[in-house]
Amino acid sequence: MKGLKIALSGINDTDNPGPGVGVARSLKESNLDVTTIGLSYDIQDPGNYMGFVIDKSFVLPYPNKGWQAIFLHLLKIKQKMGLDMVLPNLDAELPLYIKHQSDLEKEGIKSFLPTQEQFDLRAKEHLAPLSEALGIFYPKTFKTTNVEELKEALKELDFPAVVKGNYYKAYIVSNLSDAIRRFSEIANEWGYPILVQEMVKGDELNVVGVGDGKGGSLGMVAAKKMTTTAMGKFWNGISIEHKALMEVAEKFLKKTSWRGAFELECMVDGNTIYMIEINPRFPAWVYFATGLGVNLPQRLVDFSMGKEVDTQSNYQAGKMMIRYTYETIADIQELSHLATQGESYE
Amino acid sequence: MSRVETLALNDSGFAFDPMSGESFTLNETAIEIIKAVKEGKNEREIAEQLSTVYEVETLDSFTDVLDFIKQLKNFGLVD
Repeated sequence: MKGLKIALSGINDTDNPGPGVGVARSLKESNLDVTTIGLSYDIQDPGNYMGFVIDKSFVLPYPNKGWQAIFLHLLKIKQKMGLDMVLPNLDAELPLYIKHQSDLEKEGIKSFLPTQEQFDLRAKEHLAPLSEALGIFYPKTFKTTNVEELKEALKELDFPAVVKGNYYKAYIVSNLSDAIRRFSEIANEWGYPILVQEMVKGDELNVVGVGDGKGGSLGMVAAKKMTTTAMGKFWNGISIEHKALMEVAEKFLKKTSWRGAFELECMVDGNTIYMIEINPRFPAWVYFATGLGVNLPQRLVDFSMGKEVDTQSNYQAGKMMIRYTYETIADIQELSHLATQGESYE
Repeated sequence: MSRVETLALNDSGFAFDPMSGESFTLNETAIEIIKAVKEGKNEREIAEQLSTVYEVETLDSFTDVLDFIKQLKNFGLVD
């Protein structure tokens, strides 16, 4: 195992893909001498079997087991093969990593994450004031924790509306029974609160980037979703050059002194920009930026190591990202090793 | 600057708006009108150009040009 040892999560490269494989691929295609270590929550995560981008993987306990369980696993990995940096890529685990960044630092494991304050600022319940400060709009949104509140909220909105979880899942609903069904579905899987939001029209345009923690950018790329999965996940996309949107992203970095990866999800209708979500991590389409010459994972790693980083965001608009499915064949022994040893074969 | 000015256009009639990511397919006349708009010509000048090329009455081409520019406005491509 060579060079920098970088662990990354979100290697569930499924129809609801995590960002890990895109991050790992970006690092592998950079000029870094890197060993990628996948942090997996499911032995069947495809990333566990993708040796061409993930050199080695380990199975971690679910984030709901708490920080100590994850931290001990990271220390075990460090002891076994060395660990220079960790890049958490999943929403559910980020609060833990953010809260306990100093534990990692003390053990000599680098990370480059937003502060707790920055993380809280972009929480869905705080997006309205933040959007206003950025000079854009935020759809009318209600936080609900039971069906009565859901019904009350829907009286204030027109159908179709959006019912979404605090971390995951969002559905467009066209009537009350549909809304209640989706409300229960999300609550059962991810818990409360459930947000009910005004549906805004426009094109879904997204920006991926990295903030340097001092208000500056280490690079940004904007893209439009052309095709999405049934869950609304980015499948095919096209790079765009949207000056106003990039200005919003720059303002966001300046206002928050954002540190680390981010994704802005916006709806744009003519000159009107609505903020939908700010993800405090790389999105699953991060490799698109790499393919356009803006290797954000590499820049983040280099910057966190104190290296000089190219911060330009020059890329060509009109380039397409086409995602496709692909099959790989693995031996049952590989699954067995993951299940019994908690790690992949060397 | 109106968005039509940044529209990437090829001769086979495919146009890409780098700002919105939208793409459009255009017929020969539409390509000509968009090229003329990009050159800064007004509706009357474009209609005259079309009437010469396609040997039609300027009044007819003027109506067509107005219709087409209305469509461009609907797409937010011209102000």
